[in-house]
Amino acid sequence: MCSIDVLDLHPRIIAAVKKARWKKLDNVLTLSLPDLERATGLSQGDVLILKTAVAEHVPKLPGVTALSIWRGEVPGELQLRKLTTGCRLLDHALRGGIISRGITEVAGESASGKTQFCLQLSLTAQLPVSQGGLHGGAAYVCTEDVFPNKRLQQMIQSFPKRVTPPLKQPVRFGDNIFIEHVSDMEGLSECIRVKLPILLSKGRVQLVIVDSVAALFRCEYEMGEMVQRAKRLSSLAAQLHQLSYQYNIPVVCVNQVTASMKNEGRKLIPALGLTWSNQVTSRLMLSRTNQSVRVDGHTETIVRQFEVLFAPHLPRSQVPYIIDQEGVKGWSEQF
Amino acid sequence: MQNSRELNSFPIAPIHKTKLSGAGFLIVEDLKDIKPSELSKETGIDLEESLEIITLVLGGDGDQKASKPTVSALDILHLENASPYIITFSEQVDSMLGGGVPLRKVTEFCGSPGIGKTQMCMQLAVDVQIPEAFGGMGGEAVYIDTEGSFIIERLVDIAKATVQHCHNIASENQEPDMLKVMGQFTMESVLSRIHYFRCHDYVELLSNVHLLPKFLKEHPTVKLVVVDSVAFHFRHDFDDMSLRTRLLTSMAQSFIQLATDSSLAVVLTNQMTTKVQQGESSRLIPALGESWGHASTIRVILYWEGKQRWAWLYKSPSQREAVVPYQITTGGIRDVVSSKLESDEEGEAPAKRQRTS
Repeated sequence: MCSIDVLDLHPRIIAAVKKARWKKLDNVLTLSLPDLERATGLSQGDVLILKTAVAEHVPKLPGVTALSIWRGEVPGELQLRKLTTGCRLLDHALRGGIISRGITEVAGESASGKTQFCLQLSLTAQLPVSQGGLHGGAAYVCTEDVFPNKRLQQMIQSFPKRVTPPLKQPVRFGDNIFIEHVSDMEGLSECIRVKLPILLSKGRVQLVIVDSVAALFRCEYEMGEMVQRAKRLSSLAAQLHQLSYQYNIPVVCVNQVTASMKNEGRKLIPALGLTWSNQVTSRLMLSRTNQSVRVDGHTETIVRQFEVLFAPHLPRSQVPYIIDQEGVKGWSEQF
Repeated sequence: MQNSRELNSFPIAPIHKTKLSGAGFLIVEDLKDIKPSELSKETGIDLEESLEIITLVLGGDGDQKASKPTVSALDILHLENASPYIITFSEQVDSMLGGGVPLRKVTEFCGSPGIGKTQMCMQLAVDVQIPEAFGGMGGEAVYIDTEGSFIIERLVDIAKATVQHCHNIASENQEPDMLKVMGQFTMESVLSRIHYFRCHDYVELLSNVHLLPKFLKEHPTVKLVVVDSVAFHFRHDFDDMSLRTRLLTSMAQSFIQLATDSSLAVVLTNQMTTKVQQGESSRLIPALGESWGHASTIRVILYWEGKQRWAWLYKSPSQREAVVPYQITTGGIRDVVSSKLESDEEGEAPAKRQRTS
């Protein structure tokens, strides 16, 4: 926040504020009126004027009506963008795709297809906006495993064929995925704080994927350090939220699952507990079923389940899907 | 004040009068919307003097602190009986709250993620606008979003369903009053009367809350202020817990003041946190600590039990503690209806929220 001099205030007030020697002008807002009076020695009326002036000066988005958001007549940051998943059935369940608001979590047991789903998103993000993409690359932060490059290449090969209508210009899909391996908390936090903003500010990256958040948090902390873990976790989530709104991009986080101790209801729940759940905007869950089907008459593949657990704009729903050579696809009997 | 009054007629020092007229400031209108620094730049009068000129000419807001007269309990009772409630569209939740979300009070909805806090807020923001002919209050709503969970298409769903519902009532009853207002009560009009503010950190939230009274003065028909959620920015990167408590308490105070002064309903949402007690199993409690518990007059906890959503009235000065089920459909918050009634309601909310097995 900038200095007091830019505010249109009586020189008397400005002098008093300077005397108080605050590092940040935020203090004016965090202090109560009587405290401000004490700290500056100003009168009650002056303090109120000061506080209002500072409040008005805080850089923030202007208030808008819901109608202008609906009509798209608002600043870019408030406009919702959606990233297609590359599959009609999954997009239908998501009402168009992954939203550019907050954190979208993809949870699931191992081998349920979380990474496959994310790889596909890193490709669809590069599609032009008219085709449901974001017209930009993806930043892929790996914490768990080495980036599955071979699999990515395989998906890139068949991806242009899946896109309808066909792309007018060929896209070099492999060139726009930025991969970062981190192996500890410090690395991850630095990556989010320093490296990602650089990539994002150039506008080349329009999607951030963290695969996975669970790995680091589940191994680095012991039972006794839960409070510390919760603190770290919510501050990480806050940083991701900040990236999401600052650049209006979707942030996708992969999470593991854990067995619920309660005997009622679902057995597997997303890991990292309530602290993390409170920060998640949309939660998707992937799982395996016992069914399997033949695709194209030759390979047999297992049917998996894609589930929306919660999202501010979506009802709970389930879609079966499969993973084949080309990637992730919703599956229904008609095919 | 007359906008065309000449500046020459004000008691201003002659030297300043010459400077003002030299720079083209002749009547009161000219000084409107001009900042002291701009005036000082244009006229060459120093900053302090320009400020004084502007205050003198435009009058300033002198009578801010008129003390309120004391009112008797009987008057308040009459006032409360007469004041309408904002309905939630779930009859059971409404009757649990004594008719709906009351004006002049702070109501807090707490619950774990995905339980429907945001849905409840959107529903209320739409319902506050139901025209008076339908027993609503025809107000406007202010929606302060801290989490970024305000998704416009979801609001459109709820607004459409509500407008449709009123439309059905109007055409059933054939009352001229209702049919007349229906023309102006459309999805677009509903959206245009929800004022949306997005806050990215707690400083923005504080400044927005501080500026709300001014906004409400400009929009006197606002009957509902929603903050979804209060907790979000106060639950990370706060090492100074006493600062947090102080900020929350002072914010709570401004909400209470807002609710009583402008006679509107304040609805807040809060997250849940786990309380671990020695010798007992851990349980979920509303976040932000003990002192925040005093902030709201009415506190409702939303939770899952199996596949059913429940609303639990946890704190209320007038209603007794109760638990009722509710559900969320495409159209918004609704009662849980038995299977017999379900077919009747189908016309209103055709696409029932899909239940997971």
